[in-house]
Amino acid sequence: MAAEQIEVPAPVRQVQSLITGIEGTLEKWAQDLGRDLSGMRGIVPGAAIDGLVQPAVKGLLAKDSPELAGAGFIANSGLVGPDRSYIAWWQGPQLERVDALANFSPSSMERYLKAEWFRIPVESGIPHATGPYIDFLCTDDYVVTFTHPVRREGSAEVAGIVGTDVAVRTLEQNLIRGLRQLGPAVSLVSAEGRVVVSSALSLEPGDLISLDDAAVSYPVGRRFAIWGATED
Amino acid sequence: MTQQAASASRGLAAVFSPLRSAGLADQVVERIEQAVETGLLVSGQRLPSEVELAAALGVSPVTAREALSSLRARGLITTTRGRNGGSFVAEDFLPSTKGALEQLRALTRLQINDLGLHYSIITVACAGIAARRADATELAILRTYLRPAQDTLLSWRLVDSEFLLELAAIARSARLGRELVRLQADLGTLTLLPYTDEAFREASVGMRTAVADAIEARDSALAETTTKELVHALIHWLLDEHSR
Repeated sequence: MAAEQIEVPAPVRQVQSLITGIEGTLEKWAQDLGRDLSGMRGIVPGAAIDGLVQPAVKGLLAKDSPELAGAGFIANSGLVGPDRSYIAWWQGPQLERVDALANFSPSSMERYLKAEWFRIPVESGIPHATGPYIDFLCTDDYVVTFTHPVRREGSAEVAGIVGTDVAVRTLEQNLIRGLRQLGPAVSLVSAEGRVVVSSALSLEPGDLISLDDAAVSYPVGRRFAIWGATED
Repeated sequence: MTQQAASASRGLAAVFSPLRSAGLADQVVERIEQAVETGLLVSGQRLPSEVELAAALGVSPVTAREALSSLRARGLITTTRGRNGGSFVAEDFLPSTKGALEQLRALTRLQINDLGLHYSIITVACAGIAARRADATELAILRTYLRPAQDTLLSWRLVDSEFLLELAAIARSARLGRELVRLQADLGTLTLLPYTDEAFREASVGMRTAVADAIEARDSALAETTTKELVHALIHWLLDEHSR
């Protein structure tokens, strides 16, 4: 039986609402920031970006459900200068600034283009979720990073991306109970088929799995799905 | 009972040992050194002012000043006065083999072996898990670190450390990853030395290829053995040099 014909169980809806909540927050932030940036013509100085981004990050990190590990904005080339990027990203309750030296680097653009969470939304213009992966650039933590392109009003060009990191342990804390209610082998997986949280003891976050023919799949947000048998 | 008391006292000794002062300026120095070594900051480039640097790194201007003067003393930056003045990354700064040799001579054989053991345990564990978790994109990234694009000492050393870091990234253990970053900082410029040896350079490419092949084949045991060989070769080279 196809998944669409089955009524979506409540625990699945809870998982969906947590992920789409994060995506929705980023979408709104990207619009607000795009509007604020439209007011500034030409090259935007780093300090002005900090002034727009930091209060928003402060607000986001103060929310505790789900707890966000860090958030910020990274400029595409052209916004603060040709072939230059700019990072305005903060993490943790102390609002610690991240990767600050890169803002003085002539090769910062190259640095971020190597990262999936920057490259994909910049090149495709579509929101993205990366991971779970170890973020060696910023937190050194095990995270999923949600990113959303930012455009100035009336412009098709991507001026940069806003993003947020959610620790995999935070996702486990919030989602494991619901997945267990669905069954003993139910997992939240990324688009690549990588486990994010699973009710199965044999599966750890990061393991690659493939969808069993008999199993049910529910889409979760833009890039995730819940896989597994719903009967226990 | 007495057994328990004995094991408890060992823990207590650590609790009451004196705390070292934070050394915030040293951390700033380390960050900047690392940024220069990895090419994030380049020779001749202007560094931010004390005030900018302090704001960016979240330290006091006094700490930033202390860090800059320490960098100046080491010859990593130069400072000029006047209207176009400021601090610049020194033109001729590169981690030198001379400094690395001094670092090696300052260590005992025991310390090199112990460092090697730690390095091997962490990287081998990462390789074993990586063989289970690598996807095609990650394998492609791993293979970019087999041989550097440029034939410079610094690029060889970068490839050496990035390859192992990529193994940790693929394995996805935050603890092992952090431990590896710390270990590589402890190793410092030592890893530069084996790459002065043409034979070692070529042999290392073969060994990294063997690790990547094992990971692609999803063979955890082989990934572990080949990674152990790679790290052992490096440590063995250092021990050999040390005994001269």
